[in-house]
Parts: sequence; structure tokens; C-alpha cells
Amino acid sequence: MVSWGFWQPVIIFSLLNVVITSGLYITALSGQLSMATAALAAIGGYASAVLTTNFDWPFLPAILVACALGAGCGALLALLTIRMRDFILKLTTLAFGEAIGVIAFNIPYLGGANGFSGIPLYTTMPDVVIATAIAIYVAWCFDRSRLGFAARAVRDDPVAAAATGISIAQVRIITFALGTVLVAGGGALSAHYVLFVTPSQMGFYFSLTYIIFLLCGGMQALWGPLLAAMLLTAAPEVLRFTAEFRLILYGGIIVLVVLWRPNGLLPRRAIGAPIMQTPIGSRHE
Amino acid sequence: MILLLQQILNGLIIGSTYAVVAVGFSLVFTVLRVINFAHPDIFMLGMFAGLWGAHLVSSNIVVVLLLGAAGAGLFGLVLEQVVIRPLRGRDVLMTLIATLGVAIMLENGMALIEGPDPVAYPTLLPQAPVHLGGIAIGSRQLANFALSLLVLGFASWYVRATRYGRATRAIAERPDVAAAFGVNVDVIARITVVLASMMAGVAAVSVGALYGSAWVFVGTLYGLKAFIVMLVAGNRYFEGVVAVALGLGVVEALVTGYISSSLTDAVAFCLLILVLYFRPDGLFGSYAI
Repeated sequence: MVSWGFWQPVIIFSLLNVVITSGLYITALSGQLSMATAALAAIGGYASAVLTTNFDWPFLPAILVACALGAGCGALLALLTIRMRDFILKLTTLAFGEAIGVIAFNIPYLGGANGFSGIPLYTTMPDVVIATAIAIYVAWCFDRSRLGFAARAVRDDPVAAAATGISIAQVRIITFALGTVLVAGGGALSAHYVLFVTPSQMGFYFSLTYIIFLLCGGMQALWGPLLAAMLLTAAPEVLRFTAEFRLILYGGIIVLVVLWRPNGLLPRRAIGAPIMQTPIGSRHE
Repeated sequence: MILLLQQILNGLIIGSTYAVVAVGFSLVFTVLRVINFAHPDIFMLGMFAGLWGAHLVSSNIVVVLLLGAAGAGLFGLVLEQVVIRPLRGRDVLMTLIATLGVAIMLENGMALIEGPDPVAYPTLLPQAPVHLGGIAIGSRQLANFALSLLVLGFASWYVRATRYGRATRAIAERPDVAAAFGVNVDVIARITVVLASMMAGVAAVSVGALYGSAWVFVGTLYGLKAFIVMLVAGNRYFEGVVAVALGLGVVEALVTGYISSSLTDAVAFCLLILVLYFRPDGLFGSYAI
């Protein structure tokens, strides 16, 4: 049917989105749903692109620097939004993402509106598989760690969390920084595969795709968002035989998932409960 | 000085369209607790409903405006019934994603029919410069501004002076208490979505006629701005939303005119971050969600 040449990029993009989505999952676990994911990923992409192209750095150190820069940006955003309520926090991250996009647009060194091109091709299938494994392992460990439980407590009830001795500020800064490490790393890997980074890919609508992955998969458990990232990245490509209708179908799939599985594809369920049963702990706002 | 006034006037005209879209956005959010990301695309549908009306029926401006409003309102009705109603009371983000899915379908569906590039729009009104004390302004710009103010005035009258408007405000304050006092929340919710859609439809026809072109992706230009305006203003006061929308238009026009058009959005977003840092509930306050 379709060849390896068709599937390879699809799988690479799916896995890169899994890396970025696992970062977003970590950030969102403490109740800070970032709407600047695409911008943070592009920051990683720009950092790694500049280091390898203009300074002839090798691949791995450049990626690590991109991750470190991501941690810094994440911590900065967490500090900026530390006192903000849920909804306003999302909006501030949104504005941050858009502002970063416009700033990149106005720096000639980074290629301005045309973006930064001429990035060497480094990212290969094995790299992506290793990165995905690392990202999933980090997210999985975080999910079960003391910090992960503290993060959930901060998300569900900050006052009660503080009363039990959790430092809300500390948890939020650490989770945001850790999540953004993965996001920036995924962005850097993606830059070495696509071979250019542009300010337009930092926009709000690109960030929303990651939020779609997170919510369609379900925010209660790690595997849901990762599955959704795989499936929804591949969906437009697999639906390519439907030609012009593929994006309409993509939109339709999202609407149907939300209508039929309001807590996401794979919500957390009570031990022993059947898979299709309405899950416990669904959050209402 | 003339240049400054000219820029401010241009900003007010752009801002008036932001205001109509943002008020619609804000009305739906306040009453239904739903962020309707399909709203900018309902705006787009209204634009094309007007365009088709102009081709098929008549290019009389009143007819086109009515058809634009009717097309947008009709889709708003369907959207409320099929997507928003089943999702009411759920997490705000779930409805955001669902309406975003609808928006993706609408944009790409319309792109199938009308093509992904801008198409010509009937201009509806002759373009003649009108002089206001040394400042020249096009008659279409003036008509667009007047029409937006008219729509906003109507919405303000509806919310402040009618029985349904009072019920709307009651739901905004406390949906459960309003329902206990006999307000039919379902009916008000439906009316609100349709009203917001029709307002967007009128604004869309007016914008299409102003620039002489319609585009299936036009919603992306107004959607994000409207969303931001709503949150900077807070959704408690209708007039606050209008003021912030006009202010944003003026700031954008001044930055474009005096600094650089590529920095326009950066200034807007930096202002947004500042406002939210110091007034997290928006400039004029918000209803508790």
C-alpha cells in the first residue's frame, strides 16, 4: 500500500509530538495549562539551530542547551504567573507565546519573518525513538513521584495543599520548568528534522494543537495524551486519501471525541472498573 | 496633529469591529460559560452568506446585511443545539476544544467551496471622502463604524432594558439561582448564541464591504483579538469590553503609524501581560466562573 517513505516522517512527527505533549502533561499536572507550547518548542528549535549552524556545535550539546534554555523560560513563565488564577494564567502564557513570536519576527539574526533556515539534518529515527523513551520515562516517573502528587494537590486545591506544607510556588516553578525542558527538547529535535524554524509556527493556533492532544487524550492519566498525540498527528496523513476532506474530518474527530468521551480517550478509572464506564474524579468548572 | 487624529480615527474604526466580535464572544462566555472558538468562523459564515445573497438576491446593502445576519444566526442556532448544549457545565477547556474542532471544519469546509484565497466582495456603498474638520475619512469606513455602533447599541439596549436582557444578566451572576427564580436558562442560552452570531454576521458583511474582499480564514484575524479583548476587559461590563476593543484598535493604529507595523501585535500582547499581572480579573472585573 503506502511505503516506508510515507510512514517514516509520519511516525517521526507523531513521536516528536509525544515528547512535546508529555512535557505539556507535566506542566498541566500542577494546574498550569500552558498556551505557549508552540512558542516554547520553537525557542528550543531556535537555540539549537543557532548553535549548530552558526557556531558549529555538535548535535547533542546543542539539544541539551536548548533544554536548559527551555527550563529557564518555563521557570520564568511560572514566576510571572505565580499569583494568577487558572484562567488568567492560560491567557498570560498565550500572550507570552505571541509576544515571543513577534520578537523573533523582529530579530534579523534569526531570519526575521522568513525564519531560520539552513539547519543541518541531524534528527534520525533512532534519535527520535530514544528521545521519546526518555520523555515518557521522565513523565511516568514524575507522575508517580512525591512531586507529582504534590502537583496534583496544588492543582485541585491550592489552599489545602499549602496547609499540608507543600510550597505552591516551588511546585509550580519546578513542574513548569521540567515540562518545558521536554517541550524545548522536542522543538529542537523537530527543528533538525524540518530544517527551518519560523516565527509563524509559534502562534496560538499551533499551541492549541498540543492542548487538543492533551484534552482529547484526557488529563487524568499520562497515556491518554500520548495516545492522542500519536493518533491525531497521524490522522491528517492517514486521511490523505480523502483529499480535501481530511481537515474537515480531523475537526469532526475532535468534536466527536469531546462529545462522546468528555474526560478524554483514556481517563483514569477506578481499580477494576470496566473501561467504558464513566470515570471517577471528572473535574467540573 | 492631523496625522495623529487620522490614526486615532482609523484605530476606532478597526476597534469597532473588534468590539462587535468581542462582545458576542463575551456574551456567550458569560451566559453559557463556554468559550466559543467557532465564533470568529460564524463571523466568516455571515460574510459569505452576505456574499451569496448579493449574488443571488440583490446587492442592496440592507438585504445583504439581513442575509449575513440570518446566515450567521442560523449557524449559531445549529451550533448551540448540536455542540454547545450537550457540553454545558463541563470543563471550559473541553468546550473550547470542541468549538475549535467546529472552527477547523468550518474553515476547511468553506475553503472547499470558496477556495483558500480571498474573493471579491460587493462594495455596497460608493466610496467618497467625508471631511470632518480637516480629517478625511472614507464613507465606507464611516458606514462600518456607524453600523458597529448601531449593533453595539442594540445589544446594550437588549441586555440593559428588556426582560430577556435582565434574565441574561441574572444567569451571568448565578445560573442556578436564576433558574430557581423561573428563568428558562436553555431558552436564554439559545437566544444569546443566536444574537451574538447575528451581531457577528452584520459586522462581517460590513467589514467585507469595507475592504472589498471576503476570505475563509478571516476569522483568525479577529478571533484572537476578540478573545484577548474579552479577557483584558473582564466580562462583567459590556461597555468595558467595547472600550477595551476601541482602545486596542487605537493602540494598534498608533503603533503601526508611528513605530512599525511588525511590532503592532507585540505591543498589544505586552500591554495584555501587564494588565493581567496587575488586574488578574480584567480591567473592569469578571463574573466568578
